[in-house]
Amino acid sequence: MSGSAPKVRAEGSSIPASAGVGLRFQHHQAVVDTRPDVAWLEVHTENYMGGGTPLAYLDAIRRDYPLSLHGIGLSLGSADGLESAHLQRVRRVVERFEPGLVSEHLSWSIADGLYLGDLLPLPLTEEALEVVCQHIDQIQACLQRRILIENPSTYLRFKHSTIPEWEFLAAVAERTGCGILCDVNNIYVSASNHGWDAAAYLAALPANAIGEIHLAGHSVRQLGDRRVLRIDDHGSRVAPAVWALYAEALAHFGPVPTLIEWDTDVPPLDVLLDEAAQAAIYLRPLQKEANDALAA
Amino acid sequence: MPSLREVQQAVQRSVLLHEDPVAAAYIVDEGVAPAERLSIYRNTFAGSLTTALRLSFPAVYRLVGAEFFTAAARIFVHEQPPRSAYLDEYGAGVPAFLARFPPAASLAYLPDVARLEWAVSRALHAPDVEPLDVARLSDIDPADHGRVRFVPHPSVSLLRVDYPADAIWRAVLVQDDAALAAIDLAKRPLWLIVQRSPSGIEVTRSDETASRFAGRLLAGQPLEAALDAVDGADAPSLLAEHLRAGRFVAFSVGDAPAPPPVPQSPK
Repeated sequence: MSGSAPKVRAEGSSIPASAGVGLRFQHHQAVVDTRPDVAWLEVHTENYMGGGTPLAYLDAIRRDYPLSLHGIGLSLGSADGLESAHLQRVRRVVERFEPGLVSEHLSWSIADGLYLGDLLPLPLTEEALEVVCQHIDQIQACLQRRILIENPSTYLRFKHSTIPEWEFLAAVAERTGCGILCDVNNIYVSASNHGWDAAAYLAALPANAIGEIHLAGHSVRQLGDRRVLRIDDHGSRVAPAVWALYAEALAHFGPVPTLIEWDTDVPPLDVLLDEAAQAAIYLRPLQKEANDALAA
Repeated sequence: MPSLREVQQAVQRSVLLHEDPVAAAYIVDEGVAPAERLSIYRNTFAGSLTTALRLSFPAVYRLVGAEFFTAAARIFVHEQPPRSAYLDEYGAGVPAFLARFPPAASLAYLPDVARLEWAVSRALHAPDVEPLDVARLSDIDPADHGRVRFVPHPSVSLLRVDYPADAIWRAVLVQDDAALAAIDLAKRPLWLIVQRSPSGIEVTRSDETASRFAGRLLAGQPLEAALDAVDGADAPSLLAEHLRAGRFVAFSVGDAPAPPPVPQSPK
C-alpha cells in the first residue's frame, strides 16, 4: 500500500531473443491464473493510460514476465507535430512498467487534431523523413531511451513518394539511432499489394538495427477481376508464406525477439501460445548457434 | 508536389467526409482504384471506433441491438471523431447524440442509460488515487470545520437521470429479462453516485437533498455551503457516508490549496 513498496520485477527486464505473445484484455485473468510458459509479453501502451483493473493486472503480470510496450497513437508522421499530452501519457506508462522494449509505427493517425483510428501510410519523401526523424528524436529524448519503429502494412502508395520504404526505414534508424521492429507479415502484405520483392525488402534492412519481429495473420480481399488486396487484420494464424519469410528474416538478422499478434476474433490463449511455440522452433537453432559462438 | 500537410488533410477529408477526389489524385492508380484503396481506411476508422464505443456502452449496445448500434455509431464517429488515440476518453458526446437521434426517440430512457455508462466508463479508467485517510480530519481546528473543502476521487461522479437508468443498466448487463420487464419506466428524477471502489464499480442512489449536499462537496465548495443545501437533513451521517465510501482523496481549509492526491502504489 505504501508509496515506498519495493518494485518486484521479473528477473532481467530485457526482452530475450525468444517468442512472446501480444497480451489483450481477454487473457489478463488466464495469464495471472496459469502463468503460461512464454518468454515475454507485449501490450498496447494506449490500453494502460488510466487506472483501475487493467493496470492492476499488468502490475501483477509484470512481476513474472519481461514486458514490451507497443504504441499505436503517437502519430509519428503527423505534419502538425506530436500531441504532447499523449507523449506524456506514454512516458507515465513507461515509467510505471519499465518495459524491455518500447515501439511505435512508421505511419500517421492524426490531422488537424482529429484521430483517424488507423495507421495511415506516409508519402515517402524527404519532407516526411525529416518530420518522422524529428518526432523520433523528441520521443527518445522524452522517454530517455531508444525506441523501435515498425514498418507498416499499406493499401495505397503516393505518386510523389521518392524513397523506397526499406530505404526510408534504414535512414530513420541511421539518423535517429532508433531500432526497427520488423513486421514480417506487414512486409508480406505490402509487397503483395504493391508488387514489391519481399525478400529484397528484408535484405535491404540494416540487420544491426532490428530489435524485434512481429508475426500475425492477414486476410485476402477479392476485388473482382482476380484482383486481390491483402489486409493486415491480425485475425488468424500466421500464413505459411509468412513463416517462410520469417525464416529468411532470421537468416538475415540472427535470433530476434519475436511476437505473435492477434487483435480481431482473439482466440483462446492456448492458440497464441501454440503460434509462439511455432516461432520458437525457428528461433532455437539460431539461439544455440549464438550461444555456441559466445562460448567459443 | 503536395506537402505532407496537404496529403494528410486530403486523406482526412476522405476518411471523415467521404470526399475522395483530392486524395485520390495523389495516389498511384494501378490495379485497384484509389477510391477503393481509400475506402479500406475509412472502414477501419469506423470499425475500430465503433468497437471502442461498444466497449464503453455495452448496455446501450444490448438495448438497441448490433445493427442499430453500428448504424448510430457510424454517424457519431464521423460527426465527432476522437481528438487522440487514448480512446478511454472517447464517447463523452454519445448521450447527447442519442438524445437528439430521431431513430432512438422511442427509447426515452436510452440517453440516461448512456450517461450512466459514460460515468461508469470514466470511473473504470480513472487514475488510481488513495482515498482520504479520515484520521487526518481530526487535526482540523473545530472552528475551521465549515471552511473545509474536499477533493473528490477522480472516479466519482454524480448524475441526475429522469429514468431508472441504474436498474435498466444492471438488468441488461446480467441479461435478466424478468428484472428488466419489472422496471417501472415512469419518468421520475433520480440521483446516482458512480464510483470505483476496490471491489468494483458502485452505483448508489441518492435523493434530491442528499445529492445537493454531495454535489456541492464534489464541486469543491466548503462544507458550510454544502450544509446550507441540506437544511434539516442528517448532514453528519451524509458526510460520514461519503468518507466511508472513499469519495474524497484530500482536503484543504479555507482558500489554501489542497495537497496533491497520493497515487496508489501497485499492490
